[in-house]
Amino acid sequence: MRSAVFAILKREYLERVRSRWFVIATLAGPLLFVAIAGLPLLTAGSSGPTELVVVDRTGRLLATVRPGLEAVGYSVTSVTGADTRAERDPAGVRSGSIRDGRLFGVLVLDSATLATGSARLTVANALSPLREVALRQVVAQSALVDRLSSDAPEALALLSGGSLEVDILDARVEVEGSDFIFAYLGSFLLYMTLLFYGVAVMRSVVEEKTSRIVEVILSSVRPIELMLGKILGVGAVGLTQLGIWALSVGVLAEVGLPRLLAARPELAALAEFDAVAPSTGQLILFLAFFLGGYFLYSSLYAAVGAMANSDQEAQQAQAPLVILMIVPAVILPGVLENPESSMAVWTSLVPFFAPVLMFARAVSGWASAAEVTAALAGIAVTTVVVAWVGGRIYRVGILMTGKRPSMRQLWRWVRAG
Amino acid sequence: MTDYAIRLRGISKRFGDHVAVEELDLDVPRGTICGLLGPNGSGKTTSIRMILGIYVPDVGTVELLGGTPDHAHRRRVGYLPEERGMYKKMRVLDHLAFIGELRGVRAAEGRRRGGEWLERLGLSEWGDRRVEDLSKGMQQKVQFVATVLHQPDLLVLDEPFSGLDPINQDVLEGIVRELNDQGTTILFSTHLMDQAERLCRRVCLISRARKVLDGDLREIRRAEDRGDVAVEFDGDAGWLDIPEIEHAREEEDGWHLRLRDDVAPRVIVERALAAGVELHRFEREAPRLHEIFVRHAGEDAATEAGRPPAAQITAAAR
Repeated sequence: MRSAVFAILKREYLERVRSRWFVIATLAGPLLFVAIAGLPLLTAGSSGPTELVVVDRTGRLLATVRPGLEAVGYSVTSVTGADTRAERDPAGVRSGSIRDGRLFGVLVLDSATLATGSARLTVANALSPLREVALRQVVAQSALVDRLSSDAPEALALLSGGSLEVDILDARVEVEGSDFIFAYLGSFLLYMTLLFYGVAVMRSVVEEKTSRIVEVILSSVRPIELMLGKILGVGAVGLTQLGIWALSVGVLAEVGLPRLLAARPELAALAEFDAVAPSTGQLILFLAFFLGGYFLYSSLYAAVGAMANSDQEAQQAQAPLVILMIVPAVILPGVLENPESSMAVWTSLVPFFAPVLMFARAVSGWASAAEVTAALAGIAVTTVVVAWVGGRIYRVGILMTGKRPSMRQLWRWVRAG
Repeated sequence: MTDYAIRLRGISKRFGDHVAVEELDLDVPRGTICGLLGPNGSGKTTSIRMILGIYVPDVGTVELLGGTPDHAHRRRVGYLPEERGMYKKMRVLDHLAFIGELRGVRAAEGRRRGGEWLERLGLSEWGDRRVEDLSKGMQQKVQFVATVLHQPDLLVLDEPFSGLDPINQDVLEGIVRELNDQGTTILFSTHLMDQAERLCRRVCLISRARKVLDGDLREIRRAEDRGDVAVEFDGDAGWLDIPEIEHAREEEDGWHLRLRDDVAPRVIVERALAAGVELHRFEREAPRLHEIFVRHAGEDAATEAGRPPAAQITAAAR
């Protein structure tokens, strides 16, 4: 018996993993990510000249402007005091170098810079918004520092963004913003993947039914073995896909990101990404709720597939399941905003909602270990019941053709099994 | 004591109000080719599904290869359902290996045997193609290979030759005979009586969910022999209108005559000579399965098979 389940699992897995669909779906995720995060890396080498001539007519801003500019990737050649008088028109003198790309540009700081933070920059082509913002901030920042250090040295502290000390009266949990982000993205990913792989199981059942291969298989295999092999096979495909994604994101964060930041310092904001990366415990939570939710929903989807005679019929018959899945996705924002409300606690304990909601509360740190355990146990118990009922519906339905069964017929199938 | 591959005792199956099979008894001794005959919708497929344990009979017992139709015994059976599907996107050899694996043949061994069978059936260059690229006839051959790949003791074929062209039909019939010579028991269902006559040692006729008749085909035909004769001649058929002939029927291969009781066949030859027709053929004719079926189940039941009754001329009508 075990060998038959394994043969079915293996076929399901290999046929799917080898298919064009799998390659496309698996590549599309990380590729999109790479396209967004990694494209600047590809263009980094061809970003043109980085040498910037700074003409400091104020005589005091260069000290703060230079490190700022270097931090965002420019090499600074300064032209100060004495040269200023010699060159009335520094940009005009260097326009040849700028045009043929040996020089990025000329930045002139003068009294207006001290007064209002405005400066003059001469470059060959229009600036990308990103570069412009970065340059403007460096100049404004150094002007501000200059002004504050003379007028109100103590106000400098404000520049660093201030600080907020939070006193928590009932310190049950510690919530970090990064956890919140993973809770949100993770539950969304759970919702998407559970729906995706559940439907994959359903379609596979319908395909076997409409192609009539099922009768050949059932002459040597028990229906429950076929169902189990199929669910395990599709589940293994799901884990493979998630694994590939996790690995690529991991590699990107560990190797790609530092290199990207080294090449393009102006993208420093991306470093925040590192802080969003989930901990091992959070990944285990994700895996646990993925597996629990997957077995629960795929058993339901297998039964729905067994009831239907065609893909269209299956699409209609799955409506109640889709609603079951959409409910947690809809109330997720509310639960995350108010994770301790009784609504959040109770809905996240409902087995059909728990994969998404309890995961979100657990990762963001608002669910106790007891609540997580209760949710997982609830999912497990419900899965056993659903698999038993679904298996019986599957067993009868898989060989039935003709009209879709009524609820009464379904009940008879379950009892007769 | 005879060893049986299949023994059914009083099995019945209903679906709601519809009675699919009613109190069916059937013995299939090991080593025989047995035909399960009956018109469409008479209960052949349901019976076969009960033999294979896909359906559980409402009442009655099924004995398969000396035991219950459980997993271990079912593995020794090769089953080709009437509505047989394949995984269209799979490659032919992968498909064969998978079906073999379900029945306990290791994947590599299944591929090897599959390759040999494909070569034998002239499909060797199709092993790495997808199933959907094959013609319908080729798919049917591949399905047959999948059925016999694990060298079953019992082959159960539900309408195995339907939709095949005569050449491929002959090829598969030859293989069925050969497997039977090697000791494989074969049960196949068909609504084509002449095909059963060619292949079967035993037959079981069912109609409207009930068994009509079963047993050794030769014995049945002997018991059912009514002294019919077949004649071929040139000339006017008017001489057939004589009291000695109860019933005359013309088919492509000549006339088939039912004689009245106590009429010696010799009399017909004399009548033909007297009528002056040129007689080419005259022979005693064993009853045909179709005729036996009609005799036992009635003409209505037989026409349910979708086979129009042959052109008939009765003496009385003319």
